[in-house]
Amino acid sequence: MRRAERPVMQLPGPLLWGFALLLFCQLLFYHFSQVRLEASYRPLANPLQASTYRGISMGSDQLMSYLLAIRLQLHDNQMGRHFSYKRIDYHRLVDWLEQISELNPRSEYPMLLAARVYSQTRDDARLKLVLEFIEHTFDDDPQLHWRRLAEASLLAKHQLGDLKLALRMAEKLAVQPASVVMPSWARDFHFLLLADMNEFESAIAMIQALMQSGAISDPDEQRFLETKLLEFQQKLIETQQTGNN
Amino acid sequence: MFAQTIALFKYLMLGILSRRLLLLTLVLAVLAMLIGGFFSELAIINGSEIVVALVADFLRYALGLFALLVITTSVAQDYEFRQFERLLTMPLARWQYVAAQVLVIANLCLLLVLPVLLVISLHSEWMVGLYWATALWLEIFLLGLLGLLTILSLEKIPLAVCTSIAIYLLAKLSGLISQMLEESVRLTDGSLTSRFVDFIFGAILYLLPGLESFADNDVFFGNADLLQSLAGQFLATVVYALFLIGVCLVDFYRKEFNL
Repeated sequence: MRRAERPVMQLPGPLLWGFALLLFCQLLFYHFSQVRLEASYRPLANPLQASTYRGISMGSDQLMSYLLAIRLQLHDNQMGRHFSYKRIDYHRLVDWLEQISELNPRSEYPMLLAARVYSQTRDDARLKLVLEFIEHTFDDDPQLHWRRLAEASLLAKHQLGDLKLALRMAEKLAVQPASVVMPSWARDFHFLLLADMNEFESAIAMIQALMQSGAISDPDEQRFLETKLLEFQQKLIETQQTGNN
Repeated sequence: MFAQTIALFKYLMLGILSRRLLLLTLVLAVLAMLIGGFFSELAIINGSEIVVALVADFLRYALGLFALLVITTSVAQDYEFRQFERLLTMPLARWQYVAAQVLVIANLCLLLVLPVLLVISLHSEWMVGLYWATALWLEIFLLGLLGLLTILSLEKIPLAVCTSIAIYLLAKLSGLISQMLEESVRLTDGSLTSRFVDFIFGAILYLLPGLESFADNDVFFGNADLLQSLAGQFLATVVYALFLIGVCLVDFYRKEFNL
């Protein structure tokens, strides 16, 4: 059986006022603790030199590089809260990534963090910093980093909308010697992007050069290139006709 | 003479073997696996390699410190309970005590690295586990000898442990310290003081174990030549261990005991 309750207004006045005061205190405390928490974000410190980390690691260079990468990866989680990437100083972040890469050049971790984690920013300037880091770190070991450059090229095209940067990255992939083993699609990025920029003549020349070089042995790849060649030739004629009219 | 040394070794070894030793080693191994498990959750890639490298390094430092404490405590008790005086009244040479202690250290290190072999082999390939257990044995053995030298010489556990750790860390951080001193010489435009300090540290390095005397943690991340790495470490350890034993003998023979 439900117990009958007295109306709130019939409660003693001091109790109601006391309750209202306590509620107000709680709300005020919560509000200020949130503000304090927001202000308590600790920015990234400057990294030390890779050679210093190498010394501190006492011989465990690679382990140190991974631990530093994990520490960097966890930077946006502080005091049980996740802080937005907007708060991170990307210049400093790239410094960290560079030092970690230098400490352990055989690790993919910093490049992966750059391409998959820190690229998820909506700020174009920050994204560009990350993509430039990927682009110049790729030169250190193209075999290890070609996937990240391919991802960076896609990010530059679709997220940043910078076709020139995307093209530059794709070209870097395309001009790698055959000793750098990577799937054909990575090298094909270049002419696909050229076609996106309506540079059909360059794209056609590239495909023709590729087919004549004899480097394509896979029949599916051969068929794909032939289809693209026809498609681009068709588009080139259409563009020229539109231009004449 | 040989039989006497072995008997003394057995006596000393029995003095340090206990259930607590076994239990603590197992606790350290379990703790290492728990810490490794935590990090494997955080890593985006190479999780298993990071875990095994972390576990290996944790065990390296934990067991090193543990071995150091056990050895220094054992010898300190010999001082405290006037065991040396008793031993020297027997037909035993002082070198036999040092030899017996070296055997104790070697066997203690072997006992400590057996769980490491198991743990690392479980996390990684057994060849890597075998490498790490052997390399760690060499490293802890060296640290144990350092502990023996300092406790024989300083006679007090805290002093001996701190000095041993200081020497060990100095050797391991020698690269960093050299780099700092070189930088200091450069920043002070080659001032006499900086160059003198740099020279002194360079001279001290000659008396410390080289970096090749320590187990190489990078083996967990790539196709390192395990045999070559181990051969280099073995050679460096043998040379430095003999040097330490020599210093131990000189120091021990110089001590006066009231018989």
